Amino acid sequence: MSRTPVGRTTAITAMAVTATLVAACSGGGGDAGDGKIKLSIGVFSDFGYTDLIEEYQASHPGIEIEQRTVKMEQHHTQLATQLAGGRGAADIVAVEEGNIAQFRQSKDKFVNLADYGAKDLESQWAAWKWNQGTTDGGNFVLGLGTDMGSLALCYRRDLFEAAGLPTDREEVGKLWPTWDEYLKVADTFTRKTPNVKFVDTAQNVYKAILDQTEEGYFAKADDSFIADSNAKVEQAFALAASLGEKKQTGALAPFSQDWNVALKQASFATTTCPAWALALIKAGAGDEAAGRWDVAAAPGGGGNWGGSFLAVPKQGEHPEEAYELAKWLTAPEQQKRIFKETGNLPSEPAAYQDPEVTATTNEYFNSAPVGRIFGDSAENLKPTYRGTKDSKVTPVFNNALSRVESGKQSTSDAFDQAVQEARDAAK
Amino acid sequence: MTVVPERTTAGRGTTPVPPSAERLSWRDKLGRWDTKYTPYFIIAPFFVVFGVFGLYPLLFTAWVSLHEWQLIDGDQGFTGLDNYTELLSDKNFWNALGNTVSLFLLSTVPQLFAALGLAALLDRGLRGRAFWRAGVLLPNVISVAAVALVFAQLFGRDFGIVNALLGVVGIDPVDWRAQTWASHLAISSMVMWRWTGYNALIYLAAMQSVPKDMYESAMLDGASRWRVFWSITVPGIRPTILFTVIVSTIGGMQLFVEPQLFDPGGTATGTGGDDRQFQTLVMYLYEKGFRLFDAGYSSAIAWVLFLLILVVAVVNFTVARRIASKG
Repeated sequence: MSRTPVGRTTAITAMAVTATLVAACSGGGGDAGDGKIKLSIGVFSDFGYTDLIEEYQASHPGIEIEQRTVKMEQHHTQLATQLAGGRGAADIVAVEEGNIAQFRQSKDKFVNLADYGAKDLESQWAAWKWNQGTTDGGNFVLGLGTDMGSLALCYRRDLFEAAGLPTDREEVGKLWPTWDEYLKVADTFTRKTPNVKFVDTAQNVYKAILDQTEEGYFAKADDSFIADSNAKVEQAFALAASLGEKKQTGALAPFSQDWNVALKQASFATTTCPAWALALIKAGAGDEAAGRWDVAAAPGGGGNWGGSFLAVPKQGEHPEEAYELAKWLTAPEQQKRIFKETGNLPSEPAAYQDPEVTATTNEYFNSAPVGRIFGDSAENLKPTYRGTKDSKVTPVFNNALSRVESGKQSTSDAFDQAVQEARDAAK
Repeated sequence: MTVVPERTTAGRGTTPVPPSAERLSWRDKLGRWDTKYTPYFIIAPFFVVFGVFGLYPLLFTAWVSLHEWQLIDGDQGFTGLDNYTELLSDKNFWNALGNTVSLFLLSTVPQLFAALGLAALLDRGLRGRAFWRAGVLLPNVISVAAVALVFAQLFGRDFGIVNALLGVVGIDPVDWRAQTWASHLAISSMVMWRWTGYNALIYLAAMQSVPKDMYESAMLDGASRWRVFWSITVPGIRPTILFTVIVSTIGGMQLFVEPQLFDPGGTATGTGGDDRQFQTLVMYLYEKGFRLFDAGYSSAIAWVLFLLILVVAVVNFTVARRIASKG
């Protein structure tokens, strides 16, 4: 055999190896070949941005926008790893209210939007919403507020009627000015219709009650752990757990597959509902339940649950353009449009007090005046302080409530264990 | 590939007498270099890729585990073996280890026996053999997320089919996620569903290489099918059984997706049930690293897990080899 092919083989092999290495080491990045600036925006669930992005692209021909949507529970973990790795994050990222405290801690990884003039926008938002998105005494603007959750209580009219309770939303709201009275309604309901659960899960009741207090697990003054000494935490826990002990809850994991099935089967009569939850209830209960669910004021006055912010990670190449887009997407005009399309409640008074918004009704929920109900709730709310480690501690208490609901532990044992675990988690 | 003449004279125990080097042309040298080194070049990509995506992360994880390391902000200071000492006194770690072992035993042992039986059945002359053989692999091809979704509904507490069937025979509904044993059974069934067919096919392939004349002589001697199976088939495929046991062990120790997706709280809580009743080691690693952002501690768990798998694999190997050599 000739020797030449052998030599050639060697050369080809060497080239192949080199090519593999080069391919493995070079990465993507950069802008589109047509000279457009490429921006990406990373969100979860439905932010209602699809149409708005089209419009922004049309009015800004030099900009091309890619929307990336993942499930909420993956979104923040993914963002954390992208920030840690220094690449991969979108130019604009959504951060949910329950998680923003955790990211505030790593503000070095984000652009201070104040550098691009964000402070001038402050007056657009409800003060508490603006403050949640800032740190360093308001000097570092981490994120611009998108929607907010507000809080109401959804109930099933037919089940209330069967239990001999009023069905009109004003009267239902008057049944439970406080959570204690909500528990009394639960007792009445269970006595009349013992086979239907009064509420889906103790976890959401607990969250709603706790979110109506000024401080939860951590002190507003110095972010120290106070879950073991704050009587409000224990009270909220005991109130919610008592529903579980009396088997008045469906013991469902919130928004899980089982929760959807239970909605479809009409096996519970009330559920806490922030504005964004209406879409979930509608999807779970389906068309055949149209008009059966209604929206009433929540016990204990207003409250907020959820809502997000748009932040700009430092690793992006176009912070200024990203800021401009985030600013536009969170402006009152756009928030109003999003509310009309998706039901996500605006976090800016100019938007949620707008007659167009307050006059909005939701046909599926027996034409409830959702714009007014959620708007009122937003006006009255006392924002609760979220500690840096809030998102670490919260699941501990949810697990404890779940143990009470399934009858594994008494309320006091579950609470003691939770406090112990929370202390470890907050270390 | 060309066998270069020089090679035949070289080696083989005697001191090679190189044909006087100056007489070799550069082509000869190139050719010799080629036979010597080209094989290494050809396998190099594997090792390069392994180095980049296997060895480097392994060593880096070890480095991280010696630090207090926040997932996003990175290094917060060297702490030596602190993460490891904390881990050894961490009751959640031992709980997760116990769950992992329990789930592994519950899923792997019945699974391998079932796979053996299935393979024996498939080895007979069935009509439409290809269909059945492809069929047993189907559960393995289906996305694990889809499998988990279906099983989560089968084992639903209020409206699940399993509870409905139990109700028919008069057994009270079981809260499959709340109880330790119930959750372990449910998760194991998911693992078995996915992997039994896969192992059966591996056994089947091995069974076909067992010499047919041994079966014939056994039949002539009047041995029952049962006897033939245990005395000829199983000893004949021992190395394969050993292989599946080791692979299943490694897989079982790393169990993650099935229990994670079985947890209604999902990765949002990541605790594997409200009392960690089905949290496996990898789930605990994930909870620590990606929910609590404690990458240092998480890395320590990863390393302990790695060492555990190594130990179990070695034990497995020795025990299985001893059994094999007895045959």
